[in-house]
Amino acid sequence: MLAPALGVLALLFGGALVGAVRQSLEPPLGGGVSTWSVDSWRALAGDPAFWDALAFSARTAVVATLAASALALLIAGSLRRRGTRLRALVALPVPVPHLLVAVTAVLWLSPGGLADRALGALPVDLVRDPLGIGVALVYVYKETPFLVLLLLAVMGTDLDEREEMARVMGHGRALRMRLVVWPAVRAPLATGALIVGAFVFGAFEVPLAIGPTYPPALAEYAYESTRGSALTGSGRAAAALLVAAAASVLLAAAAVRIARAGRR
Amino acid sequence: MTVLRHLDLAVPDGCRTALVGPSGAGKTTLLRAVCGLEPLQAGTVSLGDRRVDDLPAHRRRCAVVFQEPRLLEHLDVVDNVAFALRAAGVRRAERRARARRLLSDVGLPGFEARGVAGLSGGEQQRVALARALCADPVLLLLDEPLASVDPNRRRDLRRLIVDLQEARGVTMLLVTHDRDEAAEIGQRVALMLEGRIVQHDEPRALYERPLSAAVARFFGAAVLRGEVRAGHLVTGAGSVPVPGPDGAGAVAVRPERVLLDPEGPLALTVHESVYAGTHTRLVMRAAGVTLEARCDPGDAPPAGARVRVALPFEHVWRLPVDDGAAVTV
Repeated sequence: MLAPALGVLALLFGGALVGAVRQSLEPPLGGGVSTWSVDSWRALAGDPAFWDALAFSARTAVVATLAASALALLIAGSLRRRGTRLRALVALPVPVPHLLVAVTAVLWLSPGGLADRALGALPVDLVRDPLGIGVALVYVYKETPFLVLLLLAVMGTDLDEREEMARVMGHGRALRMRLVVWPAVRAPLATGALIVGAFVFGAFEVPLAIGPTYPPALAEYAYESTRGSALTGSGRAAAALLVAAAASVLLAAAAVRIARAGRR
Repeated sequence: MTVLRHLDLAVPDGCRTALVGPSGAGKTTLLRAVCGLEPLQAGTVSLGDRRVDDLPAHRRRCAVVFQEPRLLEHLDVVDNVAFALRAAGVRRAERRARARRLLSDVGLPGFEARGVAGLSGGEQQRVALARALCADPVLLLLDEPLASVDPNRRRDLRRLIVDLQEARGVTMLLVTHDRDEAAEIGQRVALMLEGRIVQHDEPRALYERPLSAAVARFFGAAVLRGEVRAGHLVTGAGSVPVPGPDGAGAVAVRPERVLLDPEGPLALTVHESVYAGTHTRLVMRAAGVTLEARCDPGDAPPAGARVRVALPFEHVWRLPVDDGAAVTV
């Protein structure tokens, strides 16, 4: 039953991965068709810009994921006994494309943008700021509702009933949070957070639209590598993308494992 | 919305009281109000001499066994049982030792390390019962605890609830819609109809000496109405001797007391004849009179048969209050 879906995945994702591995192992100047070379990997490891890009992507992913998770917990906790209208409002940003949010953020937050004109100078630069705060904020705005939806799915009647049980068993609010609510939400929260982290780590369009010129995000670094030199850059770009893909696969595997453990 | 009004229920200390009534009567609302899960608009709740209606649920010392076991899946069986002791600050080793003893008491020795997801419905409810007892409550509340249990296991669990209550002497209030369960478990039974307690007495009294037609009907008795003349109730189907003074009156008769007797004073037609395993249930009607009887499956007349019926005088109960159709059951 899963064969068609798995086939498409294997073709698109597996095919791209195999292609990237091949490209990253080809000799940089196209010499020797049958020879493998790790020169692209060496060049990647020796390029300080790669390490800066890796650190930037990792930092943005960690900050955005932690902030979105904390915010999602607070929002889901306050929405769990509210009606569906408010929930739908909170979920509105989920289907909006990331690029649209990033472009809107540029329009509003860039120097001389709409916010500047309406409110005067903003206290912080969020567009092209070297720390990537703007990038992280866009992802917090986009991913928090996704995590809220995941959390609300487990904060239903079952959880209310277990909390009631805990109340009549002598547990106050803090103990109920620790012993009943947190164990119920931690697996879906961790799963969702890992998915968000993997996504932000490999993201391209938001850092390109709103992120700093330097350091770039990892995907931006790969893209720029191919533009810099078609002959030497494509192998380095493939190697950089494989690093991003490996991190995403590891995070996704951890998410699946946590989800499975949560169901047991 | 007001669900309960003019309600006064005293649960004797150390006793098992069953609160019975049809769905929607307000039984669960009352139980939730007692334990603090439902706020009161008016009235008081006291445990012994202590007013508790101004206390939050977690300070009332009422443990509840709900209809669903409400176990915590991230904890094993023994930690589920010991759950209340965490709030009391009891050390882990002590908690687990007490929980183990209770597991043995509820018939689940050796289940300590098992996950709760793999337990049957009956086993889960035993764990929930052990968890409630582990809290050492002043009042143990049970809200339809056997409703989701396999019928074959219910009898064992009823016996277990009675045995545990007797061994510990804990005051217990059971909510159920099952009159037989109420009678089997409760030393006293309170019938609740439309948010009011209409009779509170020992089980036999509600079955055999109901205060009103509504109580009689809930507990399965038929109600005959008519004019009592010279000690006989005159109905469209015939006259039967009844106790009490002359005048308008109503009597209750239980189906197991109704006799098919060719010399009987009431002439009726069998409307339904339903085989029920241990007996055949007959519903008989004539001229506004409806009676139910139980008879041996071998002797049961078929639907449509004309029969004569006798009502033994000693089993005919004159209703002190004829509430007519005021309360629908």
